[in-house]
Amino acid sequence: MTQTVMACKNLWKSYEKHLIAVKDVSMEIRKGEIKLIFGPSGSGKSTFLRCMAMLTPPDRGEISLGDQCLTAPGVDLNKARARIGFVFQHIYLFRHLTALGNVELALRRVLKLPKEEARERAIQALKDVKVEEWAHHYPAQLSGGQQQRVGIARALARNPDIILLDEPTSALDPELTGEVIDTLRDLAQKGATMLIVSHEMPFAQEVADEMIFYDEGSIVEEGPPEQFFNHPKSERAQKFMNRLIKKTQRE
Amino acid sequence: MDLGQQILLMLGGVGNTLIISILSFFMGILLGLPLAFVRAYEKDLAIFVDVFEKVFRGVPEIVLMLLFYFGLGLYLPFPFGNVFFTATFVLGLRSAANQSQIFRGAIRGVGEEQMVAGRSLGLSTTESITHVMMPQVFIFSTPGLGSEYALLIKDSAYAWVLGVAELFKNMDLVRANTYNFVTPYAVGALLYIALTFPIATWLDSWGNKKKKELGL
Repeated sequence: MTQTVMACKNLWKSYEKHLIAVKDVSMEIRKGEIKLIFGPSGSGKSTFLRCMAMLTPPDRGEISLGDQCLTAPGVDLNKARARIGFVFQHIYLFRHLTALGNVELALRRVLKLPKEEARERAIQALKDVKVEEWAHHYPAQLSGGQQQRVGIARALARNPDIILLDEPTSALDPELTGEVIDTLRDLAQKGATMLIVSHEMPFAQEVADEMIFYDEGSIVEEGPPEQFFNHPKSERAQKFMNRLIKKTQRE
Repeated sequence: MDLGQQILLMLGGVGNTLIISILSFFMGILLGLPLAFVRAYEKDLAIFVDVFEKVFRGVPEIVLMLLFYFGLGLYLPFPFGNVFFTATFVLGLRSAANQSQIFRGAIRGVGEEQMVAGRSLGLSTTESITHVMMPQVFIFSTPGLGSEYALLIKDSAYAWVLGVAELFKNMDLVRANTYNFVTPYAVGALLYIALTFPIATWLDSWGNKKKKELGL
């Protein structure tokens, strides 16, 4: 068995009293593994992902990155987050920095690389996602797809142990999702460890090692893509898959 | 006192007016920016910022100046007894209270998600504030900062009460020497407009250009 990169155990997170976004979720992601979470909107997938990166502190439960426990008191979370890549649905590039500046910032301030080296690595990261010709443009001057690829470059440049992606294509125009999906496919081929929230079903079928159907704060069903595409075990997953597949066919 | 002398005297006050206004403006930025972030991110300390803002926005500048001059000037060592220092210091604090509010609005405008994106990379909260938030907050604040600067130019006239030789005091001197009650004030009014308008407008248009360029 390959080593576990990231795991959580009995994770809970609720907003106010009644809205439980993460309900006793446990998960383990191994090196090189790609897990894809999908489910209805508002079911807590984004919150779960943010909890994993400790961007939203969970109420209860354990999160570990490698052999480090992130939920233990006194952990240097900034250091831990330096080993996690996070890609946001709404991208959140730093609007006052160019594409290159966006990628460089953490290389300089977090990894403390010297200027030249940070620049080289940032340019390489932009090349990897094929936006290097836009390096000196501000986010506002880029298309959504280019912005998201810069977002991925920013998350990747530090060589994180794992990449968490929160619906990386769902805020983009349909004709722009393709270029981002291609980038993610490249990453998958390079053996990146990824936990992705996404509803891109053809992509899921192609690259995911495991799919997880998430609803009302918990994992309803998990298994290989074939299981979901052929015969989902739970009724809820079945209904949801049917709707997704119909929608994909329409597109 | 001939016309040339009158104009020279008034122009001589412009220097002090500018120095008081610009120094207090920068003091306002240096103090107001951290205060705004404390108010936004340090829930326990927010109350102190709130009280500070209420005091310095609520009490007339002229009262603050006399209070600081007589209240502190008599008991604290130099530079507290210095009129020039007191005027600048008081206006700087008042400006910090105003600017803290301007920046707080801008922090909201820039959005919490920029902070989250910064921290997601492993930047500390402080680094996210300085490298991600502050530059954008500053651009967001330019219209407010422009009017704050104009306000300071005008309020620097209160330094007259302490006897600082700034524009208003010198206008008044010309009036006293010539018994002309209109010309010195009219010329002075034009000088105030010349001091406030160009910089405030420039700041505003620079900010708008930047905002457009960056899509803020």
